[in-house]
Amino acid sequence: MKREQLKEAFERKKRFKNQLKTYRQKPESAKTPDVPKGLYEKCKECKTTVVVEDLIKNRFVCPNCDNHFRVRAVDRIGITVDEDSFVEKGLGYITLNPLFQDHYEQKISEYKKKTNLDEAYVYGYAEIKRHPCVIGVLDSYFMMGSMGSVVGEKVVKSVEYAMVKRLPLIMFIASGGARMQEGIYSLMQMAKTSGAIQKLNEQGLLYISVLTHPTTGGVSASFASLGDIILAEPKALIGFAGPRVIKQTIKQSLPEGFQTAEFLQDKGMVDKVVHRHEMQETLSKLLSMHEKGGRA
Amino acid sequence: MMVHKVLVANRGEIAVRIIRSCKQLGIETVAVYSKADADALHVQLADEAICIGEVPAKSSYLHMENILSAAINTGAEAIHPGYGFLSENAKFAKLCEECGITFIAPSAQVIEKMGDKAEAKKLMKEAGVPLVPGSADEVTLSEGKSILKEIGLPVLIKASAGGGGRGMRVVRNADDFEKAFYAAKQEAKAAFGDDGVYIEKLIENPKHVEVQILADKYGNVVHLGERDCSIQRRNQKVVEEAPSTLPQQTRDAMYEAAVKAARHVGYENAGTVEFIVKDDEFFFIEMNTRIQVEHPISEMITDIDIVQEQIRIASGEKLSFTQDDVQFRGHAIEVRLNAEDPKHDFRPSPGRIEVLHIPQGLGIRFDTFLYTDYEIPPYYDSMVGKLIAHGKTRQEAIRKMRAALEELVIEGVGTNQMFLHMIMLQETFEQGDVDTSYIQANLKRLLHYET
Repeated sequence: MKREQLKEAFERKKRFKNQLKTYRQKPESAKTPDVPKGLYEKCKECKTTVVVEDLIKNRFVCPNCDNHFRVRAVDRIGITVDEDSFVEKGLGYITLNPLFQDHYEQKISEYKKKTNLDEAYVYGYAEIKRHPCVIGVLDSYFMMGSMGSVVGEKVVKSVEYAMVKRLPLIMFIASGGARMQEGIYSLMQMAKTSGAIQKLNEQGLLYISVLTHPTTGGVSASFASLGDIILAEPKALIGFAGPRVIKQTIKQSLPEGFQTAEFLQDKGMVDKVVHRHEMQETLSKLLSMHEKGGRA
Repeated sequence: MMVHKVLVANRGEIAVRIIRSCKQLGIETVAVYSKADADALHVQLADEAICIGEVPAKSSYLHMENILSAAINTGAEAIHPGYGFLSENAKFAKLCEECGITFIAPSAQVIEKMGDKAEAKKLMKEAGVPLVPGSADEVTLSEGKSILKEIGLPVLIKASAGGGGRGMRVVRNADDFEKAFYAAKQEAKAAFGDDGVYIEKLIENPKHVEVQILADKYGNVVHLGERDCSIQRRNQKVVEEAPSTLPQQTRDAMYEAAVKAARHVGYENAGTVEFIVKDDEFFFIEMNTRIQVEHPISEMITDIDIVQEQIRIASGEKLSFTQDDVQFRGHAIEVRLNAEDPKHDFRPSPGRIEVLHIPQGLGIRFDTFLYTDYEIPPYYDSMVGKLIAHGKTRQEAIRKMRAALEELVIEGVGTNQMFLHMIMLQETFEQGDVDTSYIQANLKRLLHYET
């Protein structure tokens, strides 16, 4: 084949060139290219690298496979509420170490530095397409969004704030459950938050909970599942104990798609799975329907 | 300090062309290729070659992450994008910048500004470059009528959000203006969701002439003369020549406008300012922030290797010559050889090259990536080479081109060789009597040959 002959000839020439001592060496001044941190993010689903700028424009949804990335509380608020409408409430809580666990304070201070947050929960007043509401967001980057005394207290405060202002409450959940380091104090938050939601109910105020990846443990077993309307993001893991634990305990294989948002929508636990691109629109519609003189 | 290793993010003829210039400068080269191009010539010629993905351009030659990874893994300091693919992609330019890789092109900001037609026109107006007369912005009916009086008939009504001919109306009679205005508005609304329209003087059958620019980062701007690319088929250039047959006065004014334009936007590296010309009046249409397919004809008449200059400029060197050093000599013509069948509506005709004979001689140049036994993949552009002839006069260049086309043999695939030969033989072409409608108007005659 002539094609192969040509290839061989070029290979020979390359070998010859590489033998030459005079062949241009890499100068010391040569720059070494390098990808700066934070330019790219890898999608866990389809394994492609996505430019972070594109990711932000696409509301933290993979442009390639539609995978919903985990979102920090700040970004969640940014993509959900009207620009400049958010006013944060409930600042100044300090997380203590009631059970004197080793390294707990140190861990907390590390997370504070890493995430620029005081705790895993942020709430405040906001408007979604001009509809006022109280919005609360759990940040899974802060100790997996786990609920300790401060998170529990702040959740209750946000409920109380909604009651005082007579505003609907929207909560975005992303949590690994109750915080182990605070033991029984964490578990008590489940009762406390559930009680607060009950009061909100009695006053006839709207509570929408949006379950995002992951919603598990003590949080899913308390206020997360008590929404008047429960929305979820596609493919979010929602459950109490993880699938592996259940499998080992009951010694049965689990159905396909077990504990995903879509599965739970089928079973009636979640009212609707909403794509992140439609979340703002859906929430504003729900808010307008439930407003005084609102349109259905 | 010159870069020591360049990655060529392209394929085909231009990749080969860039690798050659790099070798002449003593720069190492990295080729990238898709799975369909493992046999391609640029892969054999480069010092290193890296496969960057699947056959579709979207997952290889347009895949920014893969190309950047290739550059980083091979330690390439610079990326030459060639033409097409990522060459005018501001986002890619920005990514390269962020990764500390030199993108051999103007800065991302300039690419972005020039890529946005409205923005580019605004900048050109500021720079004092002549634009096609018309309204600067969207107009109402009454404003439109007053502009119509100013610029005269015929006019074109265009959708500001538009493209691809939709929402476009030609008005030749002042009485039809109102009707056409509302029709264009309606069409624009339906097609783009925005009924804004603007008005422009219709320049019928213009010549297409462009000026080659070189600018370094120290504010030195020179032009390398102009190219007449009027012979086009469906907006694809077919024959180009340098210099044009326009009067010297017009050409000088055009050079001045192009240099002014480049200066005004802070241009760096090689670029082309495109104009349309009618009756010795010229108007800016766009600026291309990359090397052009037809750059060899400018090289032939100026003896300046544009790709080498691009690399020098990107390395931060000063231009080594001034405008006065640029001497124009003779006349050069280029024809684009495509693997296509002109007799069957120019349909692509890929396949295996069985016999290849390349014409040679003084002033003949054939830029190609073909070799005997090479199989042209059907997935990409159908251009397989550019034949360039350089002579002392236009007449001599045409004669040389005719002789070269007579000699050139490409067997195994269909090409437009005969069609190009027919253009060279036309009396009207010889007289320089051409505009953008030339092929359309003479198609029947140009296809009248035996194969």
